[in-house]
Amino acid sequence: MTAIEVRGLTRRYSGGFEAVRGVSFDVERGEMFALLGTNGAGKTSTVEVVEGLSRPAAGTVSVLGHDPFRERSLVRPRVGVMLQEGGFPPDLTVTEATKMWAGTLTSPRPVDEALSLVDLAHRASVRVKQLSGGERRRLDLALALLGRPEVLFLDEPTTGLDPESRRNTWELIRSLLREGVTVLLTTHYLEEAQALADRLAIMHRGRIVAQGTVSEVVDAYPARISFVPPAGIPLPVVVSEDGSGRVTVRTNNLQQTLHELLAWAHVNSVELSGLDARSASLEEAFLAIAEEAA
Amino acid sequence: MKATAVGQAELKLFWRNRTALFNSLLLPLLLVPALMAADADGVPLIVGLTGFVLLMAVYYNLVTTFVARREELVLKRLRVGELTDPEILFGASLPSVVVALGQTALFAVVVGVTTGVALPARPWFLVAGVAGGVIVFALLAAASSAFTRTVEMAQVTSLPMLVACAFGAGLFFPLSVLPDGVASVLRLLPLSPVLDLLRAGWSDGPVLRPLIVLTVWIVLGIYAVRRWFRWDPRR
Ligand SMILES: Nc1ncnc2c1ncn2[C@@H]1O[C@H](COP(=O)(O)OP(=O)(O)OP(=O)(O)O)[C@@H](O)[C@H]1O
Ligand SMILES: [Mg+2]
Repeated sequence: MTAIEVRGLTRRYSGGFEAVRGVSFDVERGEMFALLGTNGAGKTSTVEVVEGLSRPAAGTVSVLGHDPFRERSLVRPRVGVMLQEGGFPPDLTVTEATKMWAGTLTSPRPVDEALSLVDLAHRASVRVKQLSGGERRRLDLALALLGRPEVLFLDEPTTGLDPESRRNTWELIRSLLREGVTVLLTTHYLEEAQALADRLAIMHRGRIVAQGTVSEVVDAYPARISFVPPAGIPLPVVVSEDGSGRVTVRTNNLQQTLHELLAWAHVNSVELSGLDARSASLEEAFLAIAEEAA
Repeated sequence: MKATAVGQAELKLFWRNRTALFNSLLLPLLLVPALMAADADGVPLIVGLTGFVLLMAVYYNLVTTFVARREELVLKRLRVGELTDPEILFGASLPSVVVALGQTALFAVVVGVTTGVALPARPWFLVAGVAGGVIVFALLAAASSAFTRTVEMAQVTSLPMLVACAFGAGLFFPLSVLPDGVASVLRLLPLSPVLDLLRAGWSDGPVLRPLIVLTVWIVLGIYAVRRWFRWDPRR
């Protein structure tokens, strides 16, 4: 069953700038879908329309079967949102801010439970303005989880978090996914998308330029084998040189090419020093897409 | 009602904000001597104080509240929650409104008792005046916040409304000293019909015209808020 359906979404800002240009994707129930892309690619602009903060200039959005903008009151009780930049009154304490939010919800979790989920229980009586950037981020996540959402929107949830907090947040998100929560995530941490997302899309200048599972996106990019070539003997494969003395072979069939190369080296008794073979990573795909599209 | 959760939080913030406390609790009190000197009679004093409370505790305070919450991204955050837009604005206005109503009641009782003012003969017009005044100045505050970039700027952007309303309602000098044409235009400003209704609680003043003017202002206020109110500092 589809939790989020986005078709031909376009968002235009008041100056006339088109930040999102005809984006389409689906997120199934219980799935995590990640939106990746360079700064200004249009991730936040897209997610905000899906959250129902703004009406699309063109295209349609459906969340749990409803239009999130026009049927806001039907959608909001079932979703949780963590904006890229959201605020809380700086002079409230963590508990007061959480209680306020709980008071606006139909069926909130207990405040202590929500704060424990994000390891903020020990900061409960601290004013929001005294929190560190990462702590504030976690408070935001606690509020997004407070209403036991079926669909969770997380716009860069782990930006500014220390490595341990980031791992804890991943664990928390994983447990939510196991409970059947649907998650739409944006992130600049590719390993985060790789570790958590069932499917992802890479955006560039308002468009989706690649979409699918991690391996579908990555498989479109060649694997690489690099080594220092032995002197005085022609190589059996096409290579590219980057001036560092190493050469690189790009291949869509890593195993086959590597086998050929090693067999050739064995037969000719030459050494491929500094041999390094790797499948394309999400990072490589991302960088290649950003470069191609630029 | 869910919006009261925001109201309770706002009330906490109000007690923690010295400037807001001063503007809404102390400033109207400082005006008592001035108003007393201008006119020793009890009813004009109650009416005048209520006017200042509406301008300072409701209008000015709410302009700064709306701007502060917008710039802190609190409004944007609230807007992705379950509350509707009117509920968010209502919740954020609650403490200022409660404080204003409390002050008005307190002034009325104190002045009434000390100067021996009779009980209002037509109390419903008092209620209509105060309720309409609170609504119209909360709406105008929300509309003004759209044209106010920072909390500090609120001192400047709220000035035209404050001054025009205070003069227009005859808080500083009676409108009768002005030429008729000017006076009747000033009576169209939003505070004037409110104070006319208050006076009508005690005397047989006209009520239809102020009720109409007040209603028009409320409609204009709702239109302005829907059209211009900004939830997000980015534009
Ligand atoms: N309110 C606005 N008015 C005009 N332009 C805007 C507005 N908000 C965003 N933009 C522009 O829209 C484009 C997309 O911005 P958006 O915030 O969606 O990018 P993003 O992919 O989330 O980037 P980041 O990774 O930096 O968060 C940017 O070029 C940005 O300058
Ligand atoms: Mg963003």
